[in-house]
Amino acid sequence: MADKTRDTTTDGGVTADEEITQPLGLPKWVSALLPIVLLVLVLGVFAFTSPLAGVQSGEPLPDVTVTHTTLPSDETVVLHVTNNGPESVTISQVLVDEAYWNFRVEGAGGDQTLAPMESAQIVIPYHWNPGWDLEVALVLSDGATFHNTIVAPSQSPGFSLSLLGTLAVIGLFVGVIPVALGMLWFPYIKTMSDRWLHAVLLFAAGVLGFLAFDAGFEAFELAERVPGAYEGNLLVVFGIFGALLLVQAISAWREGRVAAGDSRASSGLWIAYLVAVGIGLHNLAEGLAIGSSFALGRVSLGAFLVIGFMLHNVTEGPAVVAPVARGERPSLGHFAALGVIAGAPVILGGWIGSLAYSPTIGAFFLAIGVGAILQVDWEIARMVRDAGGRVASATNLLAFLLGLAIMYVTDLFVAL
Amino acid sequence: MPSIDYDSAADVTKRLEERLVESLTGETSVSRRTVLGGLGVAGSAAVGLGSSRASASSDHDDEDEHGNFGAVGEYRDLDFDPHEFLTAFNTGDSGQDNVPQQVYEENGRTVREFEFTAVDTTIAIAPGVEFQAWAYNGQVPGPTIRAVEGDLIRVKFTNLGRHAHTIHPHLKNLNPRMDGIPQNGPGVLDTGESFTYEWIAQPAGTHFYHCHSLPLKEHIHRGLYGTIIVDPDPERVRENPREYVNYPGPITDDFREQLVEEAKSRNHEYAENDAVNEMVMVMNSFDTNFDGGNEVYAANTRAFGYGVGDTDGNGNWTAGETKRPIQINKNQRQRVYLSNATEFDLINSFHTHSQFFDYYDHGTTLTPTNKTVDTIMQCQAQRGIIEIDYSDHEPGLYMFHAHQSEFAELGWMSFFEVV
Repeated sequence: MADKTRDTTTDGGVTADEEITQPLGLPKWVSALLPIVLLVLVLGVFAFTSPLAGVQSGEPLPDVTVTHTTLPSDETVVLHVTNNGPESVTISQVLVDEAYWNFRVEGAGGDQTLAPMESAQIVIPYHWNPGWDLEVALVLSDGATFHNTIVAPSQSPGFSLSLLGTLAVIGLFVGVIPVALGMLWFPYIKTMSDRWLHAVLLFAAGVLGFLAFDAGFEAFELAERVPGAYEGNLLVVFGIFGALLLVQAISAWREGRVAAGDSRASSGLWIAYLVAVGIGLHNLAEGLAIGSSFALGRVSLGAFLVIGFMLHNVTEGPAVVAPVARGERPSLGHFAALGVIAGAPVILGGWIGSLAYSPTIGAFFLAIGVGAILQVDWEIARMVRDAGGRVASATNLLAFLLGLAIMYVTDLFVAL
Repeated sequence: MPSIDYDSAADVTKRLEERLVESLTGETSVSRRTVLGGLGVAGSAAVGLGSSRASASSDHDDEDEHGNFGAVGEYRDLDFDPHEFLTAFNTGDSGQDNVPQQVYEENGRTVREFEFTAVDTTIAIAPGVEFQAWAYNGQVPGPTIRAVEGDLIRVKFTNLGRHAHTIHPHLKNLNPRMDGIPQNGPGVLDTGESFTYEWIAQPAGTHFYHCHSLPLKEHIHRGLYGTIIVDPDPERVRENPREYVNYPGPITDDFREQLVEEAKSRNHEYAENDAVNEMVMVMNSFDTNFDGGNEVYAANTRAFGYGVGDTDGNGNWTAGETKRPIQINKNQRQRVYLSNATEFDLINSFHTHSQFFDYYDHGTTLTPTNKTVDTIMQCQAQRGIIEIDYSDHEPGLYMFHAHQSEFAELGWMSFFEVV
């Protein structure tokens, strides 16, 4: 190894050895494509000759999921359904509260048959009563039934500018304002000794750690409502690792820049932005939850709930600005950007949640937030270590615990 | 010696009541409370039940002494009095204040005219437990209509509820426009719409009316039902006695007279009718948690409404007592116009303690269809007349209830107090 020097590229990799010989002297691209070509051939033979036709044992079971329901008016119920099974299903009848009721299927190409993975809306003209549960059952052509209970129905708000405005105001109050207020601790944090600054950073890590668990549990809970074919739990796992690795890759790239002598890349501002992005993704998911609750008519945003959200989110402010407490103070523009990145996604999430809600989107966004937050916690620990501090000092551990505890207590006020 | 002494009767009623309310609070306090909180249903239930528990614990000593679970409070909603309802007959001549009515002649026929409305309201079905109901003239069961065979019943109906409603009578109705179903005549009446139904009062008997809008289960079990009593016309009975008996043998003059006398005792326009104490009971039930099963059962809406409260045993009730037995005079003949509006369950039943009675299914005959029985059952919309004689019995409390024990323990448990 040591006898040969190789040029390292900026991403830390090394160039491949040109001299490695190919079998039978074939060009490199042939050996790259050969397995793919053979796979296509085998699949083709399998598809045309059906060698396992006699092996099939019985019919695969039909599986239909009602992902969510909307109630656009008090005369209409809309079920959003997805066929999860391997075979087509035909929705022949619909029962509402154990009575056959008329309906029409929209979005399934004009018929009542759903191909595997196909989604459609079942529109039922039914004069429902607010607050009175509805039990709806889909009767398939083979007599199988799939039940869904609409608990305490209330009218979906539908699309309107005033709804977007309302959600923007809510987002402003529960997201942007608390984060901005929390950031006003910056001058005070700046005057702290290293020891206390590190404690504040670990406090922030505790806040984020709580959010990771909070959002993680919620993501898996929501994943249960994701249609089976989309593998909700694995989607959440993918979202968490995807975000974690993506942010980690950005971070590694930054280190490469630092090594190359880019001074801006070495400042705490980078970490501050990473923290803001992580919190922003979390707040996006929070906004989704608010927006979808609105869409499902499930929200009573009383003063108590808004106050709870504000207390909860105000702790996110210092988490964003603590990394830039040392060194040169960033320009005000950076502060504004940090605040917007961390807080404003509540508004965006609210809009998405109210307009295009689905459990799949909700679970995925929550998972992304978890991954991003986990990476940021990692980053904060390294920041403390790089500054010569000890991550696991008594003060720091207690500060982390305090972060968890404060989030737990303030979370009690936020029961959506 | 009364069949049941007061202490143990009160004890049983309270214990059953406690169990019913416990089961309801259990259901409302989990996730339903958060969901329904905005509607105030669970909220008011929780408040009512909370306060009754507090009062139960305050007289804990008393409980121990008698082995009680403790009272669970009184009905606070005094708009509906199940005791008044028992004998509230609307004949056109006289009736309830909330049922505008008149009687007049038209083309040689007596017309009994009533104004009905359908409204959305809230009713008390157990102490502290409210139910969002749809109701004719604001009450569940709806007003009892009473006419004489051959009269014209004219009902000016206005729908003031948020859902579409009708009135469908279980009478022999010769005009399909008047059948009160979505497919005929005016169809369902939307909010604010009106229609005048006209029905010939026939055949004699006790009948049922209800809303026939869809979904039927919802429209019936929310409270849109009531009783129509058609009194037999003694003159018509004299002319056509065979129409009033399920009996193929010869009709002697004595038998004819006996049927005419029976018809007079059934007809509110005859003095013979005054000798009989007549009561209307509708067996009903309520699904409070939307699971397609009932949480509360009763005769005339209120769980344990005719149960035993606090009494001195001589018919003197503690002021404000809302649950008390039906007091009856032992020397008077008792007649119950019974019908079954219970939804979700296949049948309901009526059982008397220490007593046998005669049952006239649908009330369309003047001789009993079941003689000397102590239990009868009815499917939904089935009805009949029960005739009871307590003249042999000692004064005291006599239980009557559904003999589905489940229904009895969920509220359909009542007492006659014979004095």
